[in-house]
Amino acid sequence: MSAAGLLLAAVLAGQLDAAGVGRAVAAHRGRPVVLALWATWCEPCIKDFPALEALARERKDVAFISVSIDEPEDRKTLEAFVAGRRPPFPVYVRAAGPDQAFIDGVDREWSGVVPVTLVYDRDGRRLGLLQGEHTRADIEKALARAKAAR
Amino acid sequence: MRLTRLAVIAAAGLTAALPAAGAVAIGEKLQPFKLNDVSGKAVDLAVLQGKKAVVLMFIATQCPVSNAYNERMAALSREYGAQGVAFVGINSNRQESVEEIAGHSAQHGFAFPVLKDVGNVQADHFGAQVTPEIYVYDPGWVLRYHGRIDDDRSGANVKSQDLRHALDALLGGQPVPVAETKAFGCTIKRVAQ
Repeated sequence: MSAAGLLLAAVLAGQLDAAGVGRAVAAHRGRPVVLALWATWCEPCIKDFPALEALARERKDVAFISVSIDEPEDRKTLEAFVAGRRPPFPVYVRAAGPDQAFIDGVDREWSGVVPVTLVYDRDGRRLGLLQGEHTRADIEKALARAKAAR
Repeated sequence: MRLTRLAVIAAAGLTAALPAAGAVAIGEKLQPFKLNDVSGKAVDLAVLQGKKAVVLMFIATQCPVSNAYNERMAALSREYGAQGVAFVGINSNRQESVEEIAGHSAQHGFAFPVLKDVGNVQADHFGAQVTPEIYVYDPGWVLRYHGRIDDDRSGANVKSQDLRHALDALLGGQPVPVAETKAFGCTIKRVAQ
């Protein structure tokens, strides 16, 4: 891999399977967590990415994790996108494997649609599942509920 | 069933930008509906009674995942259409016009009609969330399969041809081996609530 390629690859936090996503969420126990799953081919995901970044910069009390479901053939596009934006949260990429095992492993209520954002309370309970197009306000509402839950 | 699922979700304190997954459940009867095709003509699904199976496909013109399946959908509809199976595309995306849908169908050689679901009424009724998303009904118009076309968007490494398996089972008078599957897909772009 070229030096430029190594630099680009370094912008990603690593690969996660569904169990890894669960561990990444659990690592933030004690804080609400926003888990965003997206893809570079998903137009609403790209359109709303800046809003997610802005929210993450404002909400230091919340852990933000993002996981791209891009296929390996889209990796260069993904790396260039992340390198260009430098989001204030780690961006993982889904490890190779069957789609359905990943979808159900992350959350059985998830249909497989992207974008999807899951919001967990400080005890790791998933209180929000925002499937398809949604707004920053929708995430904030779920976070308010996560904060209130105890 | 749909109301029950929504009530469960509400009780669990979940939020969902879309209707619950699987709002129409396996084993439920199809409620016939009418939608306009790309020429503006109303198509009543009742005309499909007597078919050996009816395949409803929520599809898109702009979604890369749906588009990856264009050739497979066209081929499946030709192959199984010859065996008495009806294929119907449904486009519920607010930003995809009838003219765009007509051009897309012609470009990809779709032999099946694509109906425009204005206001995503049918997408909401079915609880369809992604494109492509498939619903297969038996001759008694009972839902027997819901989910993906196959397990590989690229088409290069397909291990499970789920739609084909469902149709082969129905045509052979056998139970569908796997009634529900999932895959990644684009969101159906609904009108604002």
